[in-house]
Amino acid sequence: MLVMRDTWYLMIRALRESVRQPALEIGNVFIPMFFFAVTVGAIGNVAGKAFGVTNYTAFQLPVAVLQAVAGASGTAGLATVGDIERGYFDKLMLTPAPRISLVLGRLAADGVRVMALTILIVVVGMLFGSGMKTGPLGVVVLVAMGGIFGLAYSGLGMALALKTGSAQAAQLGFLIFFPLVFLSPAFAPKEVFSPWLEFLATINPVTYIVQGMRDLVLSGWDVNSLAAAFGAIAGLGLFTMTLVLLALRGRTS
Amino acid sequence: MQAIFAEALTKHFTDEIRAVDGIDLAIDEGTIFGFLGANGSGKTTTVRMLTTLLRPTSGRAEVLGLDVMRSPGQVRRRIGVALQEVGLDDIQTGRELLLLQSRLYSVPAGDLTSRVEHLLEVVDLADAADRRVKTYSGGMKRRLDLAAALVHRPKIVFLDEPTTGLDPISRDAIWRYVGELNKSEGVTFFLTTQYLEEADRLADDVAIMDAGKIVSQGTPAELKASIATDVVTLRIEGGDDELQRALTAARRMEGIEEARIIDDAVIVYVRDGSAAIGKLVLLLDEESLRAREVTLKQPTLDDVFLQKTGHHLDADGAVARTEPSAPSGTKRRGG
Repeated sequence: MLVMRDTWYLMIRALRESVRQPALEIGNVFIPMFFFAVTVGAIGNVAGKAFGVTNYTAFQLPVAVLQAVAGASGTAGLATVGDIERGYFDKLMLTPAPRISLVLGRLAADGVRVMALTILIVVVGMLFGSGMKTGPLGVVVLVAMGGIFGLAYSGLGMALALKTGSAQAAQLGFLIFFPLVFLSPAFAPKEVFSPWLEFLATINPVTYIVQGMRDLVLSGWDVNSLAAAFGAIAGLGLFTMTLVLLALRGRTS
Repeated sequence: MQAIFAEALTKHFTDEIRAVDGIDLAIDEGTIFGFLGANGSGKTTTVRMLTTLLRPTSGRAEVLGLDVMRSPGQVRRRIGVALQEVGLDDIQTGRELLLLQSRLYSVPAGDLTSRVEHLLEVVDLADAADRRVKTYSGGMKRRLDLAAALVHRPKIVFLDEPTTGLDPISRDAIWRYVGELNKSEGVTFFLTTQYLEEADRLADDVAIMDAGKIVSQGTPAELKASIATDVVTLRIEGGDDELQRALTAARRMEGIEEARIIDDAVIVYVRDGSAAIGKLVLLLDEESLRAREVTLKQPTLDDVFLQKTGHHLDADGAVARTEPSAPSGTKRRGG
């Protein structure tokens, strides 16, 4: 209960920072939108002939959400480095707030940022004809999936920030993200991949997240696909939270 | 009950870096404890262990009877801390920062606003409460940091060099708050400082820390009395040669406890200072040396610090090395 309460207070504080520093959010909005427009514009017309995808706008919409996650994923870690450098993180560590709340507050704020960006991406996508096979409830699930994935993935930058106190290290999550996206069926269906790439895509958790989101937009409700997507997010979250807890413990030794 | 107790408290970062080397503390409730030492002497590491920010390598420590390693959460509920580096969030306003701090300390909702308003008044920040912290001056940040340490009415407050870098007016304001809180609410203060004047003015008890160890402890009066000498300062016309010759001459005098060069003066510790001054001037005259200033004073904490650690404490917390003292009954630590 205390964890939830203090996470809430610290999430509000982190979101207030975003509102007061809107310039920092410009890149997070611009990059996914830019790549979304450019990719659809460049490949959309040939996607049907090349790999049988007729609605490439809908096909790309989840990728834009993932790019929003990548952009926002460094925020929690970077902001935590700022707190560490200013001595404010110690101030928070000295309160009776559960220490996990100190990191969950910022990670939850990243999740909220991704959810806001996902809503924006969905609106833009629908304006350009992506449609949403699963209707309004599908939008809710897609936004929730984006937010939870954002929270889980930001844990990587947060762990690096806590371990190193370095802004450069905190942004490493952003760099790692791109190979993960390119080794998934982000730009073309897995079926057209060469065998080695298909194998890597199969063991890549991002593949299942992309596919789960894509089914919501393009195909309709698919329980197995959703379960695989949420399972991949949960696994990733478990991994990053373990790193976060170890890094947090290391700060007092 | 003792507010703070430590036994053989130790923190080694590596085999070579022994930041705190087996210190013992016993601090009574309701007192102001001054922890005096130069930069790097181990003061801040001690505070970080006592406030649960750092795990000791060995030894034990209790705050209000609670073991800092076994019950860190309960310890944190009972203490307020303002660290050496002012820990504030520049993006928030002063009021927002205190409200968040109060909520994290579970200050009851009904008490929240009035408590924050009261503290803003106490630290004289009511007019700036809705400005972002990044617009505050250094003194205002220190005062806000102190207010943040007090939101939950802690029984013990740790202040790590609370006045370092402040102008005299802000420094005086902090001293006033500390004194008032101690008297009116019985709050125990653990105050680390590199300002001897601060320890002398505020502290009921003082410990001098040097190279990770406590080298002396007692009330300021007891520590000064432990020297049991007067202090004569001789400023000599001429350069380093004349200063060295004056030191040699002073050491020839009978009844001298100790003599050393500090900065541009020869400092002589002697039992009967008023009687010694004349003899010292005669000795200088025999050496054809001329004193441009001779002063006699009772020992200060600065003199105690010098005696116990073997070095002089600068205003910025650095240590100034001194010439070796004359052989005497007082033992000194090297460097």
